[in-house]
Amino acid sequence: MSSTATLKQPPTVQGKRRDNDRVDLVPLHLYGLSRRTVNLVTLACGVFAVFTLIPIWWIFVSSTKTVPNFNSTFGFWFARPFVLFSNVSNVFSNKEDGSYLQWMLNTVIYAGAGGIGATVLSAMAGYGFARFSFRGRNALFLFAMAALLIPIAAFAVPLYLVYAKVHLDSTMPGIFIPFMVSPVSVYLMRVYVGGSVPRELMDAARIDGAGEARIFLRVAVPLMVPALVTVFMLNVVSSWNNYFLPFIINNSAKLSTLTQGLALWMNHTNIAGGSEDFTVLTIAAGMLSITPLIIMFLVLQRFWRGGLILGSLTG
Amino acid sequence: MSQVVIAGTADRRKGALTRPAASGPAAPVRRGFGRRRDRRGLWFVLPFVLVFFMFLVVPLAYAVYTSFFTSRMIGGTVFSGFANYTEALSSGAFWTGMARTLLFAAIQVPVMIVIATFFATMFDIGVARFGGFFRTIFFLPFAVPAVVATSMWASMLQTKVGVFVRIFADLGLPSPNFFGPGHLLGVIVLIAIWEWTGYTIIILYTALKSVPRDVVESAIVDGATFRRVITRIKLPIIRPAIVLVVIINLIGALQLFTEPYLLAPLAPNISANYTPTLYMYNEAFSAQFYNFAAAISVVLAFIIIVISGAFLLSQRRKGALV
Repeated sequence: MSSTATLKQPPTVQGKRRDNDRVDLVPLHLYGLSRRTVNLVTLACGVFAVFTLIPIWWIFVSSTKTVPNFNSTFGFWFARPFVLFSNVSNVFSNKEDGSYLQWMLNTVIYAGAGGIGATVLSAMAGYGFARFSFRGRNALFLFAMAALLIPIAAFAVPLYLVYAKVHLDSTMPGIFIPFMVSPVSVYLMRVYVGGSVPRELMDAARIDGAGEARIFLRVAVPLMVPALVTVFMLNVVSSWNNYFLPFIINNSAKLSTLTQGLALWMNHTNIAGGSEDFTVLTIAAGMLSITPLIIMFLVLQRFWRGGLILGSLTG
Repeated sequence: MSQVVIAGTADRRKGALTRPAASGPAAPVRRGFGRRRDRRGLWFVLPFVLVFFMFLVVPLAYAVYTSFFTSRMIGGTVFSGFANYTEALSSGAFWTGMARTLLFAAIQVPVMIVIATFFATMFDIGVARFGGFFRTIFFLPFAVPAVVATSMWASMLQTKVGVFVRIFADLGLPSPNFFGPGHLLGVIVLIAIWEWTGYTIIILYTALKSVPRDVVESAIVDGATFRRVITRIKLPIIRPAIVLVVIINLIGALQLFTEPYLLAPLAPNISANYTPTLYMYNEAFSAQFYNFAAAISVVLAFIIIVISGAFLLSQRRKGALV
C-alpha cells in the first residue's frame, strides 16, 4: 500500500516537507483534545528532552572547566575560569596512545570513504534491482537483505582472520571497505528509485540513443539526490560512530579511529582509576568528537526530518 | 525481510502493469531488446555484490569452516568436528552471558519501543507544542558514538565525584552504587535507551506520515476518538515499520558489547563472559582460541537469526505483513 504512498509524493517535495508539516496535519481540534492533554504531552516531551540533553549539556560544561573545578563544582553549571580553549589545545598536544589529530583525520577518511563507497554501491545496486529484471535478481536481493539479520559480532573476528591471510589487517582499506557494505542503503535506494525514476524517462533517453551508463548518470542520479544525501549521511554517521569493527580488525595505533582512541583514553581517566587530568582531557576530546556530527545534523536537517530516512520502510 | 517481500511484490505488480503495455505490434522486437537490456542491470548490481561477497559472505563462510578445527600446542591445527560447538554449548560461561543478554534485550527493546511509539504518534498528530524542536533534540544522541555516550554516563554516575552521586548527597539521600550488581544492567539499559530512542522515533514518525490523511479524517467523521484513531488506524498501518525497528533493535541488543566492555573498569561484576560477544572477544584475543571464538560467533548468529526469524514469522501469522 505504501509503495503507492511513496509514488504519490514526488521526491522534489521531500525537502520542503518540513514547512508543509502543518498543512499536512489533520486539524487538532477534530480529535476533540483538551488543552490539558496538549500540555501534558508537551510536558512529557520536555522531560524526555531534558533526559536527552543532560549528558550533552554536561560534556559541554565540563570541557570548559579546570581539573580542580571539575572535581569540586556543580557538574551541570559553568565555573570560572573558563578554560575550554586550553583544554582543547591539550587534547591536540597529548600524545598518550597516539595523537588525537591523527585519529580525527583517520576517522574523516574512513567515514568519508565508507560514506561515499556505500552511497555509490547502493545507488547503483538499488537502481539495478529496481529497474532491470535480470535472472537471479530476486534471489540476490533476498540474499543481501538476509545479511541484515547477521550481527557484526558474528563476522568481525572471522574478518580479522581472513585479513591476516590476505594481508589486509591493519591497513586503511581493510578498515573502511567493510563500511561500504550497507544492505539497508540498497533497500532504501531500490524503494526510492522505484518511486522516483520514471521508466518512461529512461525509455525516452534510450530512444534518443543514450547508453545505460549515461542514462544512470544523467537521468537517474539527478532524480535520486535526496536519497543519495540521506544514505550518505546515515553511512557517514554509522562509520564515524563504529567502534566494534575497527576495534577487532585494526591493531595499529597509527590507523586507529576516534572511537578507538577515546576508548584507550578512557582507561586513563578517574572512572578507570586513573588521573583527574586525563578525565577532563578525555571529556574535552569526547566533546570535540561529537561536535562535527551534531553540526552536520543541524545543517542537513531537512534530509532526515523531511521524511526520507527509512520513511519508505512502511513498505 | 518482510520489507523485502513487500518490495518484491510491489515490483512484480509494476512489472505486470508495464509489460502488457508493451505488447503492441512491435512487441516481439521490444521484448527481445528489453531482455538483453535487462541483463545489463547485472552490471549495476555487480560492484555491491562483489564487495558484499568478499567482505561479508567469505568471512562468514570462513567462520563456519574454521570452527570445525582446533589448534593444539603439539600437532598444529587439526579437524575436530563439533568439538568447539559441544564445548561452547555445554559451558556455563556462554549460557550465563546469553541469559543476561536476553534479559537486557527483553527490558530495553520493549521499553524503548513504547517510548518511541508514544512520542512518534504525538508528533505525527501534532499534539505536542514545538514538535519540530523536540524531534531535533531527540535525534541528537544518534550523532554520539556509543563510546562517548558510555563514557559520559559513566562519568556522571560514578561513585566518587559523579554529578548524580553529589546531588544525592546534597539532598541527604544515601548515594547508590550505580555500578554494583543491583543497578548495573539498569544503567546499561538506560544508556542504550538514551542512544537509540530518538532514531527509532524518527523512523516511526516518518512511517506515520505516510498514513493517508483521508482515512484518518473519515474515521474522525465516523466518531472515532483520538485513542481509537491511534490504536485502530495509525498503529496497525505502520505495523511493518514497528516490526522492523523491533528486529533492528533486537539484533543490536543481542550483540551487546561496547557498553559493558567500557564499563568493566568501574564495575567488577562485568566478567569476561558478561555477554556472548564479550566472551567471544576474550576467547579470541585474550586466550587466542580463534577456532573456539569462531564457533561462539556462529552460535550467536544462529540464535539471533532464530529469534528474529521467529518474531517475524509470529507477526506474519497475525497477518501484519504483506
